[in-house]
Parts: sequence; structure tokens; C-alpha cells
Amino acid sequence: MKREFSILNLISYLFLFVILIVTIFPIFYTISASFKTNAEIMTNPGSVLPIKLTFDNYKVAWNSADFNVKILLWNSIYFTVFSVIFAILQSTMGGYVFARGNFPGKNTVFGIFTGLMFINLGSITVYPLLNIVSAIHLNGSLWGLIVMGIFGMSMIFVYIVRGFINTLPKELDEAAKIDGCSFIGIFFKIILPLLKPVIATIGILTFQSTWNSYLMPTIFTLGNPSQRTIIAGVVALKNTGGAASAWNLMLAGSVISIVPVLVAFAIGNRYFVSGLASGAVKG
Amino acid sequence: MQIMPVKKHMKSSLKSGYVTDSIQAYIMISLPIIGFFVFTLYPIMWAIKWAWFTYDMIPSHTRFVGWQNFVTAFTHDKDYWASWGNTFLFAIFKMPIELTLAFIVSVLLNGKIRGKGFLRSIFFMPNIISLAIIGLIFSNMFGYFGVANGLLLKWHIIDVGIDWFSTKWTAMAVIVFASIWNTFGINILYFLAALQNVPQEIYECAKLDGANKFTVMFKITLPMIAPVLQTILMLSIMGTLSTCDIILVMTNGAPSGQTNVVMTYLINNFVPGFTNSGANIGYGCALSIITALIIGGITFIYMKISKKLSSIY
Repeated sequence: MKREFSILNLISYLFLFVILIVTIFPIFYTISASFKTNAEIMTNPGSVLPIKLTFDNYKVAWNSADFNVKILLWNSIYFTVFSVIFAILQSTMGGYVFARGNFPGKNTVFGIFTGLMFINLGSITVYPLLNIVSAIHLNGSLWGLIVMGIFGMSMIFVYIVRGFINTLPKELDEAAKIDGCSFIGIFFKIILPLLKPVIATIGILTFQSTWNSYLMPTIFTLGNPSQRTIIAGVVALKNTGGAASAWNLMLAGSVISIVPVLVAFAIGNRYFVSGLASGAVKG
Repeated sequence: MQIMPVKKHMKSSLKSGYVTDSIQAYIMISLPIIGFFVFTLYPIMWAIKWAWFTYDMIPSHTRFVGWQNFVTAFTHDKDYWASWGNTFLFAIFKMPIELTLAFIVSVLLNGKIRGKGFLRSIFFMPNIISLAIIGLIFSNMFGYFGVANGLLLKWHIIDVGIDWFSTKWTAMAVIVFASIWNTFGINILYFLAALQNVPQEIYECAKLDGANKFTVMFKITLPMIAPVLQTILMLSIMGTLSTCDIILVMTNGAPSGQTNVVMTYLINNFVPGFTNSGANIGYGCALSIITALIIGGITFIYMKISKKLSSIY
């Protein structure tokens, strides 16, 4: 009986180990291949580790004129930072208004916003969006997307915030109200400071989804390559003519683009998990 | 007599409090409300309007065609429906493999295994990487001169390199593999959360009654996590049907559109930057509406069918 158990255990460990290797390999290979020369990537694919280690890919990418990593990174950074700030502001305010607010039309507004989560006509709606963005002279730039973020509110985050605020005692608000605090004042002085864990979750999930987004940044910066994000820029390399000759740059670019999210994941692991759990399983 | 004015004053101050609070509440959500009209409602109306037109952004070509776009979609557009076929094919291969794998791993991680937290984090890691970059990485790894062929040749599993993206089935296999690699970790998290919510006493009772491992699995564990399974399946179906970036970057439909799923088909034919100018956007609007209705219909049917799962115990 005991022996059988240990064999079963061994098989479990072996199984998990195989999956561990398969999971890590593509990331490991990308990092390792980004230190190969382009000739080695093409001619010696069987070797996982570079035969001759080179940092040239990163140097070239950093200084190249048409694939300018410095500018692409800067674009990604400001695009992500603004998107995160506005996502946090809008979803915490929205969650507060729908949790503590008491105003005519509350349920209607909430119902409409919730219903919107299920209506999605997909990519065709980029035409009217591009029309609006060019009407306010933000075409060919990431600012169009940032402005859309300012006017947007993610209902999934609103639900998370609303659920969290509902667990806070109402006496907090009432005490502040008696002291003469306004509805907005209560939010900024009392509620917002208590929302730190939720803000961390929203921030890290928005950071990840904004930094990683490909389609919208690509479409909104069409014809203006200097406005591309790092992800859009790296993938654009693949679609240009000399793709085969640029694998070294693409792999180096890929590594540069995934390092920030990996670092964020290493630091904020638990916020990823708690956000997903509260967003999906409970909801 | 003396009390009246005081009462009146209190009432009006309460009322004015309600009014100010209401105004302030609306101020706080004013931007999303404006955004709702400008960035959500207007685009939807725009698409619904142009679905009845031939429209390629050249004013002189624009004309009202009535139901024609919808009729064409249902009678003449083989490629569009083939892309739906690919979407279902993709789902049929991906979901059972992924969910079974995730379930087995989470049962193991829920048992007496060392390094659970570490393994859970590592398995989840692919989920945080950009889908576009994953598409790029896998198109490199499975290219003709990629590491997959390199290793298979080195280990003498194959004698000649496989051109993965040149036939539909090998290309689909790579897409399914990459997509499972990307999302199985998140399903492990969901399953683990569900498994940890099953009370330990039930297992102990079953053990006392002499139930074996398989009985426990099928009679206790699975029924107990059924409500969460309903959500997991739901998210998996939605995610699979709307798969886009990873295929767009990896194969872009290659070979010759045979791995286009419905989302990439719409993008490749109607979205600026991916299609040539001159595409009939009106027709694209009609296809987008049909697509949204089909996805909505599938969701609705799934909710109806799966209701049982949420009330199984």
C-alpha cells in the first residue's frame, strides 16, 4: 500500500515536472535566442543555448533608426501609465457611486453599463472611433486611446470596487457626513484610502492588459510608426518585408517587451490572483 | 407652533443634501456617461446604420442596399462560414485538452506536493505575456528553421523538417498548442480556488465509508465544484470564440486563410491597416452584427443548458 502510494507520488512529480519544462521553455528559449547572432538563429536552431553569446541584438535595437526601441518603450510607458491612472480613478469612483450613491436613475444607469459588457460589435467599430479621434485631432497617436480611457469605465473593476465598499461599515460615511463632508469629499478623504488592495489589483491588471495590447495601438497609430508601442513595433517588424533577417531584433524586442510584465508579476503576484478570483469565480 | 419652522428647515436641508449628493454622484460618473454615448453607443449605431449600405468610404459609391448585405453573408460568403468552422474546430481541440490538463494539475497541486505556490505561479506566467508576442515567439519556434524542428531533427524523431505553417492541420495544431500554453494556468487558478472551497469533512466521511479515489473524484469532487465549473466553461468558451491576436500574429490565416477564425477573418477583411482600402465596410458591419448575434446566441444557449451545473448540490 505504501509503496504504491510513493509510485503514484513519483508519477505526479514527473508529470508536473514535464509541464513545468514545457511552460518555461518558450520563455527561456526566447531569452536565450535573443543573445544569438541572426545567422545562428537561422542555421543552428537545434541548440537551445547560444554557441557564441552576443549583446549586439540589444545594442542594434537600442540604436537603430527604423526600429527605435527607446521611442517605442517611452510610448508604451506613457500610454500605460495614463491608462492605469484613469482606469483606477474611473473604476473606484464608479464603484463608490454605485455602492454608496443614492440618486435618481441609479439602477437604470447601472443596468445600462452592465448590459454594455455583453454588447460588442468587435473590430468594425474602429471606423467610427477613428472618426471621433480625428475630429478632435488626435489621429495617428496613442492619445486617442488614452482619451477613450478617460471616458471609459471597466464594469468588471466597478463590480470589484463596489463589492469591496459594501463590506466597509456605513458608519464611516455617516460620521464624515455629520462633520460636514460632501459626497465627493467622503470618497476622497474616507473611502479612497481604504481601497488600497483593490487599487493594486486594478492597477496591475490594467497595466498588464494595456502594456500587452496589440490591435488597438496598431490601428490607432497607423501611418505614424514613431507613435507605436513596443508590442506594436515588434510585431510590425514581422509584417515588413525583411522579416527573416530581423529575427534577432524581434526576439530582443520581445524580451524587452515582456520583462516589465514579468517583473510586475514577480512583485504583484498575489494581486493578479486575487483580482482574477474576485472577478471571475465569485462574480 | 414653535416646532414647525425647525422641522421645515430640517426637511429642506435633508432634501438639499439629497440633491447635492445626487448632483455630485452624477459629476463623479459624468465622464463614463459621456463616453457611453460617444465611444460606445455611437459606434454601435454607426455599424447598425451602415450594415444596410454598400459603403467603402468613397461617397459616390455609397448606396442603400436593404437586406442585401445579410443575404450575401448567408448565401454567398463561404469564407466567412469557413472561418466559423475553424473557430469551432479550434474550440473543440483546445477546450477539452486544456480543461482536462488544468483539472489534473490542480488536483495534484491540491494534494501533498512540495512547491505548490511556486508551480502555480510558473504555470500562470504565460498568461501575463502579450498574446501578440506569444504569436511571434511561436511563429519563430515552429518556423521551418525554428527550434521545434531543430530539436526534433537532433533527437532523430523526424528525418525531414516539418513545414508547420504550410498545411491547415499542422498550423492548427501549433495554434492550439500555443493557445493552451497561454491560458491553461488561469484555469488551474480557477480549479484550485474551487477545490479549496470543498469542505474537508466530506472527504473524511467518504474515506470512512470506504470510497475509493475514483468514486471520490466523480461522486464528490466534480459535483462539488460544478457551480465553478459552469463559470470556468463559460469563460473558456467566450475566450476561445474571441481568440484573435495570437492567430493574427502567428499565422495571419496561413496557409491561404485556412486558419482564419472568425475574429481574424473580420480583421483581415475589414479593418484599416490589415485590409486593402476599398473593402466594403457596410458588408463588414453586417458580418459583425451577425457575429455578435451568433456569439450572444451561443452564450444564451450555454447559460440555459448549464443551469443544472450551478444547482447540482
